[in-house]
Amino acid sequence: MTAEKEFTHQESLQLISQMISKAKDDYLGTGVTALMWGAIITFCSMVELLKMLFFPKLGWVDTVWWLTFLGIIPQIVIARREKKLRNYKGHDDQLRGGIWISFGAAIILMNYFVLRYNFPQPLAVYLVLYGIPTFAIGFGKRFRPMIIGGIACWIFAILSSITPDPWTLLYLAGGAQLAWFIPGLILRKRYLKVKKNNV
Amino acid sequence: MFKDLNPILHSQLRLAVVSVLISVREAEFTFLREKTNATAGNLSVQINKLKEAGYIDVSKQFKDNYPQTICKITPQGVLAFEQYVKDLQSYLDIKK
Repeated sequence: MTAEKEFTHQESLQLISQMISKAKDDYLGTGVTALMWGAIITFCSMVELLKMLFFPKLGWVDTVWWLTFLGIIPQIVIARREKKLRNYKGHDDQLRGGIWISFGAAIILMNYFVLRYNFPQPLAVYLVLYGIPTFAIGFGKRFRPMIIGGIACWIFAILSSITPDPWTLLYLAGGAQLAWFIPGLILRKRYLKVKKNNV
Repeated sequence: MFKDLNPILHSQLRLAVVSVLISVREAEFTFLREKTNATAGNLSVQINKLKEAGYIDVSKQFKDNYPQTICKITPQGVLAFEQYVKDLQSYLDIKK
């Protein structure tokens, strides 16, 4: 691109919208953490479902859920690395960070209440929680896959309240796929494409 | 009649830089280069012109022992950009 090249008013408007859209290409991130959480929750749900269906006495299988705590370590490492590599700051970085921190706090508190009070339908509440940051960020960024993922979590939350256990775990896996794994895949593809174009 | 377009902004690279900066809170020089596909020298000159006009703030810092140039649009730059877009729109409306 050159500085003083003559260009029409129409071209000016096109350039403005092209540049704004190029800047926004980077906004939603690399998709790695979304893929990771989508995979972890789906894996844990499916292992738990298989256990409940075929090996109900194998109590130790429940420890698979510890993966959700262990996932915090790579999450921190990836977030720090991405922050270091990012060469810009968005207008709403702090807002987005705040939304995910609130979500993390809500999930930890929810785990505490589930363990302490033996909630009757905890999966429905988890799905409601999953839907909140997903929908909020998708809506704010006009990123349709996350909007759909967030709404899907809420629909699954309703369905899980009228579905017998252990089949409710399928909704949890489905919620994780639609809210995180699939949007993560789309973001990853988009990120790699943008990166390739910038090389 | 329509207003004359702001000559500082009515330049392909400077307009591209300001359009990118309006979309983010702040950006490193490398980000601007990636998005505009401009050469480092040319970009540097145009950034200086925008800085002299008071449209952007430029600060230098070190990140992992490497020098870094951070650019940020100023409130004056935002106003100038908004006025530029309004002028463009009025021009295009009159032409219709």
